[in-house]
Amino acid sequence: MSERLGLAIRHHTGFTYDGLAKASYNEARMTPRSLGTQQVQSSRITVRPSVPLSSHVDYFGTLVTAFDIQETHPQLEVEATSQVESWAATLETPLDWRALRSERLSDRFSEFLLPTHRTALVGAITDEIATWQKLSDVHECVETASNFIRGEVSYVPGATTVSATAQEAWDRRKGVCQDITHVTIGLLRAMGIPARYVSGYLYPATEPEVGDVVEGQSHAWVEYFSGTWTGIDPTNGVRETQRHIIVGHGRDYDDVAPLKGIYQGPESTQLGVLVEIRRTH
Amino acid sequence: MGVVFEEDASGAWNEMFSSPGQPRPIYERLLADINAYQPQELRLRSEQLARTFIDRGVTFAHSGEERPFPLDLVPRILGALEWDRLARGIAQRVRALEAFLADVYGEGRIFDEALMPRRVITSSPHYCRAAFGITPPNGVRIAVAGIDLIRDEHGNFCVLEDNVRIPSGVSYVIENRRAMTQAFSALFSDHRVHPVDSYPSRLFAALLAAAPAKALEPVIVVLSPGVFNAAYFEHVLLARMMGVELVEGRDLVCRSNHVYMRTTNGERAVHVIYRRVDDDWLDPLQFRPDTVIGVAGLVNAARAGNVVISNGIGNGVADDKLIYTYVPEFIRFYLGEKPLLDNVETHRLDDDEVRAEVLGQLARYVIKPVDGSGGKGIVIGPRATTTELKALHKAISAAPRNFIAQRPVALSTHPTFVGEGIAPRHIDLRPFAVNDGEDVWVLPGGLTRVALGEGELIVNSSRGGGSKDTWVLNDESIPFRGAVPPASARSRRYAGPPRQNDEYIFEQGEQ
Repeated sequence: MSERLGLAIRHHTGFTYDGLAKASYNEARMTPRSLGTQQVQSSRITVRPSVPLSSHVDYFGTLVTAFDIQETHPQLEVEATSQVESWAATLETPLDWRALRSERLSDRFSEFLLPTHRTALVGAITDEIATWQKLSDVHECVETASNFIRGEVSYVPGATTVSATAQEAWDRRKGVCQDITHVTIGLLRAMGIPARYVSGYLYPATEPEVGDVVEGQSHAWVEYFSGTWTGIDPTNGVRETQRHIIVGHGRDYDDVAPLKGIYQGPESTQLGVLVEIRRTH
Repeated sequence: MGVVFEEDASGAWNEMFSSPGQPRPIYERLLADINAYQPQELRLRSEQLARTFIDRGVTFAHSGEERPFPLDLVPRILGALEWDRLARGIAQRVRALEAFLADVYGEGRIFDEALMPRRVITSSPHYCRAAFGITPPNGVRIAVAGIDLIRDEHGNFCVLEDNVRIPSGVSYVIENRRAMTQAFSALFSDHRVHPVDSYPSRLFAALLAAAPAKALEPVIVVLSPGVFNAAYFEHVLLARMMGVELVEGRDLVCRSNHVYMRTTNGERAVHVIYRRVDDDWLDPLQFRPDTVIGVAGLVNAARAGNVVISNGIGNGVADDKLIYTYVPEFIRFYLGEKPLLDNVETHRLDDDEVRAEVLGQLARYVIKPVDGSGGKGIVIGPRATTTELKALHKAISAAPRNFIAQRPVALSTHPTFVGEGIAPRHIDLRPFAVNDGEDVWVLPGGLTRVALGEGELIVNSSRGGGSKDTWVLNDESIPFRGAVPPASARSRRYAGPPRQNDEYIFEQGEQ
């Protein structure tokens, strides 16, 4: 588990307009920061049309790049590149349920325990909770919940839209990583386990070779608090590995959308998201 | 003896009389002055007051029609000593709320000390995470506060609620005084009343002091949602009296985190925005994307320190009525002082035990939604029907965080001209405080709102309330009777603002 991956990431996204857009105001959350499981050696964001960029760290600790484009433009492109060294965290012994549910911790992580409109779940799904909660080991409980959701909700690109809620994805039993993450967060919170949304990248090759450029993914997974924040990827049925690169955290997707903005002008079409990752060492 | 004063049988504190027929010393002169008028004459003067307001367009929208905001002809008087105590209490409260806002949008010391659960904040709909990391240059998030006070049965003033988002109503204070000095100039030569016309210059000075240090000649604007807003009259009045531009969202543009105002002479940088637009509508990039009255990019421009938005973004968390219950603790924790003003006795319904007790005897409490304004959603238990109480019980059980319970307080009463004669009516008081970063100044008096219906306890204009000119006497120790104060110390006739024909509507949307 101590393997360190050096990864060069290129994330390209944007919009094309049916005509010309202007007065466009945007925030990009596309830059990884150095954390307990990764070190960022360099990063940059390029915006076309070229405009001045400003950056700040938001409430949840995510690096935000803000910019506005006044002149008319047929297309907006944002490219984030970074060089990151990543390693997997060791799984720490979890707190017991009593400690996890203490007033101090449940208050400290209140916003990762309260449902949001994205994560709220009602109905039969919550019946499962009682059985999982009997598991004394919190890690085991989370894994069981995560595997259950993975078994129930099929990964079907295009089955949901970017604005889907956990409940919608659950009712259809279909979704993408964002949806599966929301459902998992909803269930963990309902069990009293603080859970947060992680936006990032996944280096997909299981046997990565140095120098190979592979098509990566803009990915989402879950971190839950069990004494420390611990990552789990319910879409892939694995724990957070060195192949997971974290960009940001939030209560749900809306807190960490990679690119959000408003503009004046005609309809837009997303350019599509391209993530390329090259192993450097 | 002219007009008949109806006796007060409400059991509430009567502002003018200590017992039937026995005026409090501070009101003796006023009572004598009023008694000198014949009832018909008072009626004429009252009509004159109403006409002044209609002529000047001082109206508000009530049940879909424009009405003049009724100004009662009997002024309310506060003595210098009492006022001094109140003003210090209000200033203390504003300083504590400032410290609280700086803390919850910064370090969060109060949570570390476990003086307040973090979830009280994180569950507040007005806790604005986008405001995190915005540091006002002079530390001021509350340039203007409206602290609502009531006087209880024992004569003690207590705080009913804090309004530190976009408190409105100060234009009534200015207009009421203007109308009263015209209709009753004689009363003002008998009393040394603190003037109220310095408010705009105080506000201007506070906004100037709030400007980013790098702005050498700061440009200040008043940002209004526009002519359809209930308080547009006030926006116009304040902009004009401060001598600054009144703008709407479409007049401003953000570029690279700088804000510019479009003028006929091209663009001009703006450094301080006194905004009368709610957070939700302020910046479509951060909040409601469908807003047309806001300015895209404003929040990040403020974060970059190029413009100051006043009052601050996210201040609503301090107005949350559950958070209100903690203000006395804020005063002790942040200022190390003893609260000078008490809260109304309030119960936190997010506490299971407290909730069970309150739900068990709901008819004994006043229940308020934590984020209501303008008297919306308030249920007065003793006056509620069984059906109302049942619905309320259900609503509280479903979302206890959304309500607080208060002891029903019989608001003090004040003799009020009600057509046939003078009768007691319930009143409250909204003083306005201005914080320039060095000092919190409280406008002498403030807005006394009066519930015009007999026995009515909700004073908001949106519920058919009126107002009173509110006098703070300069020095009550100086005997007026028979002694004429030197001319230099006497109050001057108030010269009103040079403006006409503005529309005045009130409440709705503003606080």
